Amino acid sequence: MKAEAIHELLEQAFPDATELGVEDRTGGGDHFQVTVASPAFDALPLLDQHRRVNDALAAHLADGSIHELRIKTKGSA
Amino acid sequence: MKPLSEQISDVIEREPVTVFMKGTPEMIMCGNSLRALQALHAAGAPITAVDVLPDPRIRQELSTISGWPTIPQVFVNGELVGGADITEELLESGALQQKLDEALGADRSPDVKTVALELH
Repeated sequence: MKAEAIHELLEQAFPDATELGVEDRTGGGDHFQVTVASPAFDALPLLDQHRRVNDALAAHLADGSIHELRIKTKGSA
Repeated sequence: MKPLSEQISDVIEREPVTVFMKGTPEMIMCGNSLRALQALHAAGAPITAVDVLPDPRIRQELSTISGWPTIPQVFVNGELVGGADITEELLESGALQQKLDEALGADRSPDVKTVALELH
């Protein structure tokens, strides 16, 4: 799948994001590095921050169209 | 033979540190499983590895239990820590060592072993 499609899903899930990046790590459309900075993460443990990102992309993780997902999350600070 | 989900829960509850990975520590089949193992190793963790590749049902049952969609998955004292990214981040911040110290004591021995699940 395209990085833009993932970007769009993350935008919908994190409308308050102050930083949002998607990198296709291999150019093959299934290994992605995503970066999300959002005040929504401020009160959340790291595990739950990553859960929120996984949830936003759940359908594509489940059907294998995302084979690898690397996640970097940041709060608003 | 116990159902797979029960075997998985048993390992998670029984072992101090469990990593569900692709391959084994002797033959690692995925870069992210390698990253998680290296982070655990650097933190001086005892490691119990479970290979998810022998049967796709292992991964399905595991993700149902943990609510975590990807491999690897690291557990300390029965609790999900996260995947490779979180494990690395916690190592870099020192929180992984702290978590292991609290859970297992500082004089833990960093043994590595592999547990195979019974499949039928």
